[in-house]
Amino acid sequence: MKALCWTGVNEVAVEEVPDPRILNRQDVIVRVTASSTCGSDLHLLDGYVPTMMAGDVIGHEFLGEVVETGPDVRDRRVGERVVVCSIIGCGRCRNCRAEMWSLCDNSNPDPGFLETLNGHATAGIFGYSHAMGGFAGSHAEYVRVPYGDVNAFPVPEGVPDASAVFASDAVPTGWMGADIAGIRPGDVVAVWGCGGVGQMAARAAFLLGAERVIAIDRFPERLEMTSRHTGAETLDYEKVDVLDALKEMTGGRGPDVCIEAVGMEGHGTGAQYAYDRVKQAVRLQTDRGLPLRQAIHACRKGGTVSVLGVYLGFVDKFPMGAVMNKGLTLRSGQQHGQRYIPMLLERMARGEVDASHLLTHPMALDDAPRGYEMFKNKEDGCVRAVFTP
Amino acid sequence: MVAKKSLGLAALAAGGAIAAGYRRRKAVRPGPAEWFAVTVDCDPGELSGENRPDALGRLAEHHEVRITPAPGGRGTEIAVHAADGKAREQVRALKQFLETGEVLRVEGQPEGHRTVLGRAAIPVSRQLMRRGVR
Repeated sequence: MKALCWTGVNEVAVEEVPDPRILNRQDVIVRVTASSTCGSDLHLLDGYVPTMMAGDVIGHEFLGEVVETGPDVRDRRVGERVVVCSIIGCGRCRNCRAEMWSLCDNSNPDPGFLETLNGHATAGIFGYSHAMGGFAGSHAEYVRVPYGDVNAFPVPEGVPDASAVFASDAVPTGWMGADIAGIRPGDVVAVWGCGGVGQMAARAAFLLGAERVIAIDRFPERLEMTSRHTGAETLDYEKVDVLDALKEMTGGRGPDVCIEAVGMEGHGTGAQYAYDRVKQAVRLQTDRGLPLRQAIHACRKGGTVSVLGVYLGFVDKFPMGAVMNKGLTLRSGQQHGQRYIPMLLERMARGEVDASHLLTHPMALDDAPRGYEMFKNKEDGCVRAVFTP
Repeated sequence: MVAKKSLGLAALAAGGAIAAGYRRRKAVRPGPAEWFAVTVDCDPGELSGENRPDALGRLAEHHEVRITPAPGGRGTEIAVHAADGKAREQVRALKQFLETGEVLRVEGQPEGHRTVLGRAAIPVSRQLMRRGVR
């Protein structure tokens, strides 16, 4: 079959690779019908995630049809249209049973690297390096899904592929950012980053009761899209001082909840940004964190900062003083998608959540290298390139 | 030439600093814990007597194994004394098997062209990550 492989820093190529097969009794094989680029893939492309090997199939946000089931699969059926959570859970360990699926104890069979780096390992993730389990990704004609019963979700009729594909990652990640922040009616929520996840976090914040949502980015088309599809107000950080603007917009209090949907390659302006870029480039820090620092600085006293952007290891100049002296609550995590996906698919079926506008560039899998280039450089207003094999 | 020499010196100095740091670290770093432990979401009774899984029996042939209930009803702690890499891999596999009924495989998945170095490195790094460095 054809698949998109990582071949080196900033290099991907479509290659002919063997078809996946059932390796465990609870596996299902899915024929991929749509597989999305995701901002977190850019950290792989840019070489900031170690343990990538040339020849690794990437891609983790996808939709398809079940074509084969292992002998111990009970609920999934051949022919079902399913969306698969990008993060793999076993469904049986204590963390999965407590609905903290990305903390699964069993879905990352090779946890040593992350245990050394972080103390404990994260769940396995499709197409996201050998440290995250070394699972083949979804930018391919077929993909093997472990523990198929708990990771693949039937999509209700009437929900188009263009929206359903994002129920794999962007929509539940955004929802989780708002959910774990404990948004209360009347809250003012600020969201850093207007990519797929940031936009979905903004939408979720409104649905969970926020009175105002303020979204921050620098790309006019993304700001405009966020405003049109979520109703959020927007700030262009290249045009205004974000900290000043947020204070002004919140009567000096600061946002009740700050959601960071940017991650370890955040952009910014000024000396702090230049400092971060240099330190990351020479590997004196693994992650650069200007938007994260800004979110902490902006947050109201006693507020909550919810971190969705992917960080791998260490952020330098972390403002612990602000966290401590303002009594902030810090929430974070890779997405516990399985907790939210059925509910989100129901909301999609009812028209309350629609993510199809994120799909700006449908492309053939053969054009995936070009798709990643466009996505990375935000060419032609690209928010998400989605590949169909 | 001068530049080359100073470069060589800088490399030597860096090497020396690393070596000194390593010696110091060796001197002050406490030894690793003697037990390697995991918590399994099952009742301690499921691991003893005739219920004892074969894999646990095999582990116990070569290692002292301690089975205790985890606090707060969080299942059972399995601790293995003087666990080497292979034993750690076996303990992790045992937890997976007890909780999910199978041991997850990643070998044999689709992959693109591997470099010569990659082909050699992947099994080694995979084994290192499966066992964990201690």
